[in-house]
Amino acid sequence: MSYMFKQLSREWRFMLRQKYLLVLLGCAILISGFSVQSGLNEVAQQQQTIERLKAADVADRTDTQNKQDEIGMLAYYTFHLTYSPPSDLAFAALGERDIYPWKHRIKMLAIEGQIYESDTQNAELTQAGKIDFLFVISALSPLIVILLFHDLFANERSSGRHDLLVTTAKSPWALWGARGAIRFISLFLCLMLPFYVGAWVSGTSLVAVGLVSLCCFMYLAFWAILSVYWGKNANSGPKVASGLIGIWVLFAFITPILGDLAINKFVHSPKGGDIMLTQREAVNDAWDLPKEATMDAFTATYPEWKDHVAMQSMFEWKWYYAFQQVGDQIAAPISQEYRAASQKKYELAGYASLLSPPLLLQRVLTRLAETDAVAAHKYEQQVRAFHKTLRLYYYPFLFAQGEFDKGNLANLPSFDKFINKQHGVSDTDSAQTTNK
Amino acid sequence: MSEHSSSTARFAKMMVVAKDEWRYWLRSKLAISVLAIGLILTLSSVVVTAINTMELSHTRHALQEDAEQTFADQPDRHPHRMVHYGHYAFRAPSPLSVLDPGVDAYTGNSIFLEGHRQNSAMFADQKQGTALTQLGSLTPAFILQTLAPLLLILIGYSSVSRERESQTLTYLLSQGTSGFTLIAGKGLALMSVIGLILVPVAISALFSLHEGESITAIVGFVLGYALYLTVWALLVLLCSSALSKNSESFTALALTWILLCVVMPRVASSTAITTVPAAGKLETDFAVAAEMRKLGDGHNANDPAFAQIKASLLEKYNVDSIDQLPVNYRGVIAMTSEAKLTQVLNEFAEKRMQTELAQTDVSRDFGWLSPMVAIRSLSMLTAGTSIETHHKFLREAEELRFDFVQGLNKAHVEQLSYQVDMNRNKDTDSGQKARVNAQNWQVLDDFSFAVDTPSLRLQRGAPAFLQLLAWIAALIIVIRLVGKRLV
Repeated sequence: MSYMFKQLSREWRFMLRQKYLLVLLGCAILISGFSVQSGLNEVAQQQQTIERLKAADVADRTDTQNKQDEIGMLAYYTFHLTYSPPSDLAFAALGERDIYPWKHRIKMLAIEGQIYESDTQNAELTQAGKIDFLFVISALSPLIVILLFHDLFANERSSGRHDLLVTTAKSPWALWGARGAIRFISLFLCLMLPFYVGAWVSGTSLVAVGLVSLCCFMYLAFWAILSVYWGKNANSGPKVASGLIGIWVLFAFITPILGDLAINKFVHSPKGGDIMLTQREAVNDAWDLPKEATMDAFTATYPEWKDHVAMQSMFEWKWYYAFQQVGDQIAAPISQEYRAASQKKYELAGYASLLSPPLLLQRVLTRLAETDAVAAHKYEQQVRAFHKTLRLYYYPFLFAQGEFDKGNLANLPSFDKFINKQHGVSDTDSAQTTNK
Repeated sequence: MSEHSSSTARFAKMMVVAKDEWRYWLRSKLAISVLAIGLILTLSSVVVTAINTMELSHTRHALQEDAEQTFADQPDRHPHRMVHYGHYAFRAPSPLSVLDPGVDAYTGNSIFLEGHRQNSAMFADQKQGTALTQLGSLTPAFILQTLAPLLLILIGYSSVSRERESQTLTYLLSQGTSGFTLIAGKGLALMSVIGLILVPVAISALFSLHEGESITAIVGFVLGYALYLTVWALLVLLCSSALSKNSESFTALALTWILLCVVMPRVASSTAITTVPAAGKLETDFAVAAEMRKLGDGHNANDPAFAQIKASLLEKYNVDSIDQLPVNYRGVIAMTSEAKLTQVLNEFAEKRMQTELAQTDVSRDFGWLSPMVAIRSLSMLTAGTSIETHHKFLREAEELRFDFVQGLNKAHVEQLSYQVDMNRNKDTDSGQKARVNAQNWQVLDDFSFAVDTPSLRLQRGAPAFLQLLAWIAALIIVIRLVGKRLV
């Protein structure tokens, strides 16, 4: 044990005397620290936004409910905030929350006309991408590993010490193993320490921290081993590094770009705009169609209101909301197809990422942090389900005749309650494992 | 005279050095494969992006015409129905987006226009993406901004340090070649590589002349990239001549590249977002809704908020009740409240755009720290694919929206009597009566979006040009110093 310690401490002292290694490690901890810091900021901003929106939402609804009395008008003007809060790991992997919307205002009109509304940030900044911990690990750290490990042998060879070192060392492991281990551990700690601080600040569960650490360890080890292997017989450090950077470019850019091109050629997706067009045309046409046409299509889905579809006037709210529902029904197949296509793309991207370690890591960590397309899709499903409960709440008042008592508004569905209930019922097992 | 002949001699020497460098590259497997890969990447990116953009351009023009036709083809209706029927505005891509698509994939390129609201642009391509291209996409802009510098590093890191390591440097210098001439010769060789990389880009840019792009913008665009890659050539020369070993030069350059090309752009955007926080559209929507409740609901002519309008109308036409008005009171209310509402909406939209511009400015200032940030802004600005172009589209689409909605409201006021309008829901017949002629659907202006003029775009790009020139000037000064002390 003390022998091993001696080897390691020698290599540690050796490393401290090599300025460029220290510069590299310094850069690593600085960049990682900055990324964690800006990730924490971003998540804090998202949470504050949600809090502000929640307050605005309540005020907005109260105002509306004070102003409107008629059930149809209430349904028309009452918005409901829906949102998907960032997870406690989101600071490390901001993922695609800047592309997929995570907040909506939903009302009783056709959902297909509302769900695609995007509330994204400054497009020019989104295009540049953000620096989060995941980016530092998946894209940057391989480069730092390459710079640290490519000349493990070549450096000694070119300075003419290689053979001397090999013959005087007790075993190759005592020399190269210790040297590699010291560099690896130092880099690992420099990159991970900011993450651990961030995780502690945002109260991330130990399981998640452990999983992230494991993934990062394996990922860094992969690049370290590759770098050492690639350079084991080489004399010229830069040549080794050029090759390794070439591999990095291949993994980080070329494979993903080719995968993206192939997937987009292979999966045919309807145009998003066509969904809205179909829905809008359906809703607009309904004004000129015989009322029965709309009501028949409506009662096909909700037969319980079959006996309440007769109309006294040319305009009644129940008919208005019935054709909103029918608009959704008509747009449903193409909307399904659109979602199926994006799921298919996500699935295929999974296979593509098997050929690209940086993407594989991104995929795994954004999944853990729930900031990927799957999480966005799940949120969309929640919004759709919540919209349905809104409909189920309003339909009895709209279709069953009689005055609407505003006291009933107390039972108006709320997204908060809806989510809690959903979690309470279906997610008890997973909640046990992920809760701290 | 002698000065002139000495400068030609100097140039001749530089040419010899440059030719020698080329001979070295052609012999070395690494340099030749790097060059080949670089050219293949540039070429394929140019071709792939050109095909995509051409498809997009055609479909968007067709879609715009389709949308206008569909609107005009609608049957006789109540004019307010058409206000909600709505219309689309499509943004045709700018010609140079073939080379730098910029924000296009993130903003969405069509907007649904309807009464009473400003929708955001919808269906950004990224949302239906595979999430594979987060690190980079196969666009000429990405290849030139990120990968081309790497290529210059890989073939140039040893240009001077190699001579030193193989001890040919002292020999060369003692032969009468000055340190600066040597470095300049190596620089010439690197510049010829830059020229080679830029050829496919320049050709593709010239093709956009055909799409109506001006030559000034094209020259500015290509010149920007030439300056940017020159910065990198200078950085390569500097490290290679200032550091004594190949491996040191390589490590320093690789680290510089990581910091300037990979880290800095993201640091810039993260800093911009955290220093200038922007309220999302949703938040402004709530604020707008609160304002609106004060203004009154334009659908409900009995809203007490309109009492004043009613009084002044009655006074103007000198009548006792709204039934006696020669104009349709409901239409007047719709028209007035749309105007007021639009004012509020525009105020918020303008504020939001200003915030976005402030954010973008913060991130563009990082161009002083990283030439990559400078060329990124310069490229998008001159190509007309920056956030400014998106804002221009939003403003023009809003103008289109307001004009057609008010055009329809005008028909509502003038061509539909108040009594007929009030009875519209009584029975089928009165419903039929409460319509106006489809002729009125000709209110749409032909909408075709064009990017800003080349001079305005270049003017916006001026700071980025300055940033690049500052980098070049600073590097040349340092290299001259290093060149004098070259041993």
